[in-house]
Amino acid sequence: MSVPLRIKGLVKNYGSLEAVKNVSFDIQPGEIFGLLGPNGAGKTSIISCIVTLEEPTQGEIEVYGYNVAKEPRKAKYKMGTVPQELIHHGFFNTQEILEIHSGYYGIVNNKERINYLLHKLGLWEHREKKVRQLSGGMKRRLLVAKALVHQPKLLLLDEPTAGVDIELRESLWEFVRELQKEGVSILLTTHYLEEAEELCDRVGILNHGQIIKIGETKKLIKDLTHRKVTFQLKTQDKGLEHEYKITIEGDRHIFSVPYSKTIEELFNELSLTLGDVKDLSIQEGSLEDAFRYLLGGQGE
Amino acid sequence: MTKQNFLPFLMLYYKELRRFNKVFIQTVLTPLITSSLYLLIFGISLGKNINLLNNIPYLAFIIPGLVMMGVLNNAYQNSSTSIISGKFSGDLQDLRVTPLSNHQIIWALALGGLTRGLLVGTITFFVGQIFYFVNYGSMIQVQNYLILFVFMIIGGLSFAMFGLSVAFWAKTFDQLSAVGSFILTPLIYLGGVFFSLENLHPFWQGLSKFNPLLYFINGVRYGILGQTDVTLWLALGVSFASLTVIYIIAWHSLKKSNFTRW
Ligand SMILES: Nc1ncnc2c1ncn2[C@@H]1O[C@H](COP(=O)(O)OP(=O)(O)OP(=O)(O)O)[C@@H](O)[C@H]1O
Ligand SMILES: [Mg+2]
Repeated sequence: MSVPLRIKGLVKNYGSLEAVKNVSFDIQPGEIFGLLGPNGAGKTSIISCIVTLEEPTQGEIEVYGYNVAKEPRKAKYKMGTVPQELIHHGFFNTQEILEIHSGYYGIVNNKERINYLLHKLGLWEHREKKVRQLSGGMKRRLLVAKALVHQPKLLLLDEPTAGVDIELRESLWEFVRELQKEGVSILLTTHYLEEAEELCDRVGILNHGQIIKIGETKKLIKDLTHRKVTFQLKTQDKGLEHEYKITIEGDRHIFSVPYSKTIEELFNELSLTLGDVKDLSIQEGSLEDAFRYLLGGQGE
Repeated sequence: MTKQNFLPFLMLYYKELRRFNKVFIQTVLTPLITSSLYLLIFGISLGKNINLLNNIPYLAFIIPGLVMMGVLNNAYQNSSTSIISGKFSGDLQDLRVTPLSNHQIIWALALGGLTRGLLVGTITFFVGQIFYFVNYGSMIQVQNYLILFVFMIIGGLSFAMFGLSVAFWAKTFDQLSAVGSFILTPLIYLGGVFFSLENLHPFWQGLSKFNPLLYFINGVRYGILGQTDVTLWLALGVSFASLTVIYIIAWHSLKKSNFTRW
């Protein structure tokens, strides 16, 4: 079976600049995959190659088994894309833009789908406005609607929430989850790592054009981060010396514990029992911690 | 072309029509004014003193030239501004990420340009007829509609495709206007809109024969007046050849071009 997206050995150079260096990864059916990385890491370049806006210097890209260079039209029916840069359309209003865009996919009567998207994305009241009359966040949502007129099975979102307020951001992610349930596979980039952590089944972390880590979001966090465990004891007589201890703040002893160690093991090593403990808090590691750790290690 | 392939093409053509329809006044009014001015100044004021060999009035001589000039200019304008404004606003990339093929993009834009060109050409022709009627009390009898339309269509398609190639190639707005003012305008003016080859020095006559526009314009003149500076078959041959060459250029320029915004 062909996967929604397969990238093999992708290289993209702009003149002498190597923006993407030998990147390979797959997206599995129905998954949300986050492509994360600092500014200039090469995320948009990868997406541009997938949608054929840029020609890869090297490498192969397949969308549902169709090579985008050899069978671009078949591949394009399968995917929809939200570009990072806002797009203006001089003459047409929101609704007309969606009708025209449907037409490019050979769909003539797409009223139902268009109305559904307009409602879903909070654009219904603005359907007769020209693009320049829309706010930045509305323009972004129009781009999302455009990407979905033809019910693609693979959706590429390049920072879809940039400039979108928090409420709409949440509803947009909610919508993305709905699409996932309908069987759409999603590739997204975002600089909001908290949202990526909540949303993405897997993430790939890109730096200087290379994937430096790829894997299940939860596993990646477990592998790369520690839990922060804080104790307050009933009595002050225990020293609680341990290699994981990082600091004492007042009467609070703070430990940074790798996920390989259970709390029980920590208790045993400290020869503590629950009876000694007045209060205990555990803070899980975050994707942001993992991200920092990885990029720090790369000498960012 | 299957239905699924044909519809995207139709939509793009339809969008082109809608686009110039939104600036309809400009589309109709501008040629009305410019062609009236030309007819007034050249056809009537200066034309009185110009004698052509076959005794046709100078006014009648320049009408076909002005018609074709309107077709060519507007076909070029329409497709090139469509691409350039797409580069400015960013919606040009819609053409690349959707399943439209390069051939479909070329034909849709070329037909869009041609449609506008024909509209302007027709308006120019009617304005010319009015001027002619006022001056001579009769209308010009079109000699051969088929030939007239064949040349207008080839010319319009060629220039729309040329406009598209230039607009895709251009990296700045200046480059686009440079091609317009340094290549197109001279070629059009030297292509025999306002003069007959017979009146030129043999050197310029020889040079003019390399200007493909000479054949476009003379073809239209043959269609309307039944006479031309070059033979009909030569004019047809050169025009078809030009269209083919420009099509190949357009296709290459699309293959090499970037659809991302400026
Ligand atoms: N058209 C282009 N021509 C030349 N260089 C480019 C072009 N597009 C991108 N680059 C360069 O390629 C590198 C990767 O850019 P890209 O836009 O892919 O990064 P990104 O990960 O999307 O960044 P951001 O998070 O800021 O969107 C950068 O160094 C950028 O300057
Ligand atoms: Mg980017």
